[in-house]
Amino acid sequence: MKKNIKYITGTALIAGILCGSLGCKKEFLKPEPLSFYEPNETYVDAAAMKAALYACARNMRIEFYGGNPPILTEMLFSETSVEGTTDKSGPAQDLNLVITPDLAGFEDDDHNKIYTYWREGYAAIKYANTVISRINNATYASQAERNAILGAAYFHRAYRYYKLTNQFGDVPAIFREITAPQLEFYSTKREVILKQIKLDLDSAFGWCSDNVNRGEVTKGAVGHLLTKVNLALGNFDDAITSANAVINGGVYSLMKTPFGPAAPPYYFPAGSTKPVSLPNNVIWSLHRPENKSVAENKEGLFMIIDRFGDGQFGTGMTIMRQAVAFWGSNVNAPSGKKGTYDNLTAELVQSNYYGRGIGRSRPTNYSQYEIWTDPNDLRHAKGNWMNMEDLLYNDPGLKSSNDVNYLKNLQLRNASGGLLTTDTIRSWFGWPHYKIFVDDNENSPKQGGHSDWYLFRLAETYLLRAEAYYWKGDLQKAADDINAVRTRAGCAPIIAAQVDMGMILDERARELFFEEGRKSELTRISFLFAKTGKVAETGKTYTLDKISDDNYFYDRIIARNNFYKNKIVTNHGDKYTISPFHILWPIPTRAINGNIEGKYKQNKGYTGYDPTLQSLDIIP
Amino acid sequence: MGKSTRGVWLSPLFNLFLIVFSTLFSTVVNANNLPPHTVSGVIKDTKNEPLAGVSVLVKGSTNGTTTNGEGKFTLADVPDNGTLVISFTGYASQEIAVKGKSEFLVSMELTTLNLDEVVVTGYGTRTKKDVTGAIAQVKVTQLENENPPSVQDALRGNVPGIVVTASATAKGGGNLQIRGKNSISGVSSPLIVLDGVIYQGDLSDINPNDINTIDILKDASSAAVYGAKAASGVVLVTTKKGTGSKPSIGFNSNIGLATLAMDEPLYDGPGFVHWRSDVLKSQNITTAKPYQYDDPRQLPSNITTAQWLAYDNSSPTADPVDIWLTRLKLLPIERENYKKDKQTNWYDMMFQTGVRNDHTASISGRKQDVSYYMSANYNHNQGYLVGDQFTTYRIRINLEAKAAKYLTAGLNLQYADRDESQVPVTWGQMVNASPYGEVYKADGVTLRDSPNDDVGNNLNPFLDNVYTNRLRKFNTLFGSIYLKGQLPWGFSYQTNFTPNFEFYRNFNGTSAKDFRVSARKGVASRQNRTTFNWQIDQLLMWNKTFGQHRFDATFLFNSEKWQQWDETMTNEGFDPNDNLSYHNIGAGIKPVITNNDQVSTGDALMARLNYSFQDRYLLTASIRRDGYSAFGLKNPRANAPSVAVGWVMTQEKFLENIPFLNYAKLRFSWGVNGNRDIPGNLARYGALSDLTTGKYQLITPSGQIVLVSQLYVNRLQNADLKWERTTSFNGGLDFSILKSRISGSFDAYRKSTKNLLVTRVLPDVTGFTSVLFNIGEVRNQGAELSLSSINITKPNFTWRSIATLTVNRNKIIHLYGATNDYDATGKVIGKSEKDDPSNRWFIGHDIDAIWDLKVLGVWQQNEITEAAKYGVRPGDFKLQDVNNDGKFSDADRQFLGFRNPRFMWSLRNEFTFMKNFDFSFLIYSSWGMSEEFNQAKNNGGFIDRQNSYKVPYWTPENPINDYARLFSSNGSAGFSTYRKTSFIRLSTMALAYTVPASFLGRAKIQNLKVYVNVNNLAVYQPEWNWWDAEFRVNPPTDRNIIPPPRYYTLGVNLTL
Repeated sequence: MKKNIKYITGTALIAGILCGSLGCKKEFLKPEPLSFYEPNETYVDAAAMKAALYACARNMRIEFYGGNPPILTEMLFSETSVEGTTDKSGPAQDLNLVITPDLAGFEDDDHNKIYTYWREGYAAIKYANTVISRINNATYASQAERNAILGAAYFHRAYRYYKLTNQFGDVPAIFREITAPQLEFYSTKREVILKQIKLDLDSAFGWCSDNVNRGEVTKGAVGHLLTKVNLALGNFDDAITSANAVINGGVYSLMKTPFGPAAPPYYFPAGSTKPVSLPNNVIWSLHRPENKSVAENKEGLFMIIDRFGDGQFGTGMTIMRQAVAFWGSNVNAPSGKKGTYDNLTAELVQSNYYGRGIGRSRPTNYSQYEIWTDPNDLRHAKGNWMNMEDLLYNDPGLKSSNDVNYLKNLQLRNASGGLLTTDTIRSWFGWPHYKIFVDDNENSPKQGGHSDWYLFRLAETYLLRAEAYYWKGDLQKAADDINAVRTRAGCAPIIAAQVDMGMILDERARELFFEEGRKSELTRISFLFAKTGKVAETGKTYTLDKISDDNYFYDRIIARNNFYKNKIVTNHGDKYTISPFHILWPIPTRAINGNIEGKYKQNKGYTGYDPTLQSLDIIP
Repeated sequence: MGKSTRGVWLSPLFNLFLIVFSTLFSTVVNANNLPPHTVSGVIKDTKNEPLAGVSVLVKGSTNGTTTNGEGKFTLADVPDNGTLVISFTGYASQEIAVKGKSEFLVSMELTTLNLDEVVVTGYGTRTKKDVTGAIAQVKVTQLENENPPSVQDALRGNVPGIVVTASATAKGGGNLQIRGKNSISGVSSPLIVLDGVIYQGDLSDINPNDINTIDILKDASSAAVYGAKAASGVVLVTTKKGTGSKPSIGFNSNIGLATLAMDEPLYDGPGFVHWRSDVLKSQNITTAKPYQYDDPRQLPSNITTAQWLAYDNSSPTADPVDIWLTRLKLLPIERENYKKDKQTNWYDMMFQTGVRNDHTASISGRKQDVSYYMSANYNHNQGYLVGDQFTTYRIRINLEAKAAKYLTAGLNLQYADRDESQVPVTWGQMVNASPYGEVYKADGVTLRDSPNDDVGNNLNPFLDNVYTNRLRKFNTLFGSIYLKGQLPWGFSYQTNFTPNFEFYRNFNGTSAKDFRVSARKGVASRQNRTTFNWQIDQLLMWNKTFGQHRFDATFLFNSEKWQQWDETMTNEGFDPNDNLSYHNIGAGIKPVITNNDQVSTGDALMARLNYSFQDRYLLTASIRRDGYSAFGLKNPRANAPSVAVGWVMTQEKFLENIPFLNYAKLRFSWGVNGNRDIPGNLARYGALSDLTTGKYQLITPSGQIVLVSQLYVNRLQNADLKWERTTSFNGGLDFSILKSRISGSFDAYRKSTKNLLVTRVLPDVTGFTSVLFNIGEVRNQGAELSLSSINITKPNFTWRSIATLTVNRNKIIHLYGATNDYDATGKVIGKSEKDDPSNRWFIGHDIDAIWDLKVLGVWQQNEITEAAKYGVRPGDFKLQDVNNDGKFSDADRQFLGFRNPRFMWSLRNEFTFMKNFDFSFLIYSSWGMSEEFNQAKNNGGFIDRQNSYKVPYWTPENPINDYARLFSSNGSAGFSTYRKTSFIRLSTMALAYTVPASFLGRAKIQNLKVYVNVNNLAVYQPEWNWWDAEFRVNPPTDRNIIPPPRYYTLGVNLTL
């Protein structure tokens, strides 16, 4: 019996070992993904390809949304704006000091977003390349469907390269999907990349359709971008052709009368805690969140969509926080007491109507005074445009002390002419309320909630075509296109003799605030002056070989931007400066460091610039 | 071997069946008992004092007992020809042949070296004298006066070579690291083995009261039995078993207090106003007018109030104090309270004296063929932070039944209910909160959104605590069912089946009353996660002695599967209201559902041989082959061989006559270990490419919003991913001198880790920031010394000391391999291996080397022009411009120190006096490491809108060189400032009183002890003066400082 037990347990043990040993089989160790999609098995049909395009579309939002959105970095390298946060070290004010390859890598809200453009640009290029490289691996209902998808991917890729080449100049050209680790990259010449994306867009223009959902790539958007690329290449006739196709295509037109469900503009008369309505107007209704993507709106060429709900984009744009003055602080009543209050516990919660601004984007004298020459300009009309004097003193402390100024309009100076604000940079300026006001149901106090945004709008197509005519010397046609935009806003037309590049840029500043990437456009134009040798309104001509030393970009900014021009000093002691070499941004150190085996061309003016290093003449 | 993959699933069930079946079957034929023979005796020390708690065990069996308070024991079922093994911690063990006797009088001698101590070596145990590797043991039962509240606390400072990070939360704990960081970005925490099986649960689910010993396998040879999983060392936790023939009922009760160990004061009201005026002066350095920011009631005679008011055009009739406070940016509530001198002491409101309770009841013993240990524990800790608490209920059942002479079946079961629902106050906000701000709105009950109504800058520290409704609970069940028995010819076997469950609920509701979500009408989420993994171990052992040759072989087969199902739903916009919080998640209007399921599998084969000749020459050799699915695309398996030798020198003739040398053993080992732990979400699928999904919105031509899915490649595939591999050498000496009054171990090692699992940075133009890669080589080398001594043994006084010293140096040997070098024309001129500055990894330097711009001091008044060249001014930090180009870039960065200690030491002293009193204290120290100290810049946050710690700052009148001016400028540089964080800590101090047996008399109490202890009593940090640098939120991932705690505990230990 005893022996039997031994054998029984012994046999059982061996059986157990054998049984357990089934785990030795290789199948057992095969990784098994459960909750994520695998690329090769997924990108096999039109639905998955479109999902890749939606990743491109969503990526577009990054430029305009969140704390210190990247568009502000584009704006502060121009005549229109500067960085207005005056209470810390870090913001891009003293550009000569802080725009270095090292600091360009700091992406927090207290620095600049140069690196964000770089990284997110190449991220979106990756998304687009996935579609382009795999386009023939998937099945489609028709060749047209395939082509429309490929065309949309070309558009997304081209848009990013258009931005990158006008921000950084020569950049690495990645035009295929990368599926294995690669550590060696080189810069390709700006013009080579621009030529390639022109080819791509030419194809895409034939393939894409306007009969798509808002948020998807339209034929109009392709034509608009193609116009920009044609301009950048100096192909002015092509630019006119592509712009014509958009303007005369029958799908898009400038909005000329008020429309849509949005409520009309309003203002607060002194003493009132209730807003008073003003007559509606086309500019107001064109930029209301409710109206941007409605069917009757024919002006939007490409829309970035952001609505409340699961769009996975946090708690809205926070655009009011960026572009509205920091009016809740540093503003005293004539009595010397604190005058304004941007929190919720006041009798008049003014931040519900204008938002709580922190004045990060500070307009220059150029953009808040000098360009507003036409008294009938709707873009600067009461209710559409806010001046500080339109706000009321609402601090509860004034009410409780029966201060005479309570609910009176703000004033910059007291009776004896003394300033009543301690920080005129950050806390005292005007802003285009019609564009910046985005109601907010998620943040309190309101910072700017969800809203669709125009990436491309037909008004800009007119101004691009005007530019093409200007380069060709056809000033009358240029004036006609500028006037199309001007007269819609209620302004008097200009005459051909008034047209120069400065006039076109002025109109862009009036029309495209917080829409255009101003720095990219100025850089593009400056390259064109250098390339064509055309005499600019500055009276100067420029050359490509000196582009980082002497250029239109700098001359224009230093003439118009009073902060950089006068080297204004903030309360914190930081000086506003800019230099000609800022026409191109530095490639951030953190981007360079990852490229261990290759080499990028650093731009002139920055640490690491090597004049002997040549960029590639090809797309590798 | 097998063909069907379904067999994988069958195997655990089949094993369970096997265990149950064999147990039942064997019980029927249990018929091999010896005739009963009961022995008894008294055990005393050399001073003739009776010793309580001495273990008496029949050799080769589990039949044993312990002595009572009078040193007496009785043991039944002792065979006539048997041997009694008598052992007691700190005393030399003895073996006494029974030879038919039934009365014993034993005298035990105190020693620092007990060669018969059993050490757990992984898949078995060995006596200390047979060990060839570097193994350290902590006898947790010996620490009972200190009542370590967690496994980590039992290890901290008690073993050389192991670093245990400090924890300041009510939960406690910390992270473990053995012999340095050998993985660059992989996980460096050791493998935990609980009662012989690999444990993947939370250490806090193990009740320290249940622990008997903790063994740490430090060298590769010892750890090699855990093979490819053991590169970061192995910690083996062994829980208690029943021994005495009478049931032993134990109670351990602790009541304690948690307090703040150190203060880091903030400015009070007047101090705040004075500091704020300095802030404004520094901020407006270019525009400030004389005395503009100073108290108008104390103007110098040459400035009139009217002039002063005119500075900012204030009305001549205005109240100057009002104007002044407005200039200082004080908000209405602050100005009002300044005038009333009504202050709020935020600091005191953040911290409390927390009450800690830890109570364990246990019953253990053995009856005939069944031994049992059962315990139940309740642990409720409040932290020193208001709102921080931790509650857990833990149950353990250890059962072992001898089913037949050749068959034993057992069960170790651990259940824990862990509640981590705490929502502490946001103490960090106390710095932002103005002392003239207020907690409540005018109604006196509703929380103010912001203490001074400046929500853009600072929030009420109580918002989270009050408005978050949280349920965060873990229920874990860890069991190990085993079967072991004897086979003929010296063979024995063991089968373990180990299921492990974790059920996790994380429910959160943020009330709409919280202004941050009021517009969203409340936000709630529910996360449910179930984790289940099982393991099977099949072990075959062989143990045979041929004359002077002893053999001991072990063979293992192991397989495991880990599965997790995780789902989260969130919602907001609750209608009609969010009063039901997360209990009615469907009532919201913005539902988002996400989930993440994962699976991984692994297996292993292992063989080990221990051989000894004349108990003098020792050899251990082992090999293990591991498989893991995360590397399953190409390289699922890895081998881990090892060999170790030991030589007991003192057994040699030529050393026998050295009088002071009692014992010496030389050890040498070589071995390979692996690591498969990949951090974060790459853990199981890092080798695979994945597509990230998300949502985007489109608007149809008719105006409808449609939700579409976006999809993009988020991760680059790396099919070549494989195990990280560490090869180590270890040389060691165990010794005992001066009649074993002093004994110790010395170990020196060199570990080289290759194929490091690295999230390697890729050129970002690829669209990928990094890829998981095997690359490079890291070397750790170091030495450890452990010394025990008996300093004094007098009848009424003994004093023992234990000291440890740890030194580890770490170096990156290789990173990415050699790449081409080019000259200016682009011609290849050679090859060299490049550093990785983006990750701050440099060949030839420590992984944690600090590489940054060097702060030379502060620019002083007379250097104003020099400072201006760098865009800064006096009071800002002066940095070294190494290449003198007037700019700051990587070219100016240099090596400034290390984040890891250069060396660590600890010293434990234990005293016994007046027979019944025990006193002990532990000091430990880490030396030579540095940490960021950006408080010295005085420019963090919006200091013109908040309060501050009392940190020194530069002013023209106070031209210091180590702190910058308020609101200093960083100029064009991105840099941190650093300070040394070396410290010496008086960690624990404990005093215990054992009630003499004579007092207990006939109360049927075996043992009664009362103790008090204090944890984290004092610290000396010569160069760091901001809180306590050792206490971090969650190192290494979150290195933010958290205030240090101190614990006071009163405990009682009662055995019936």
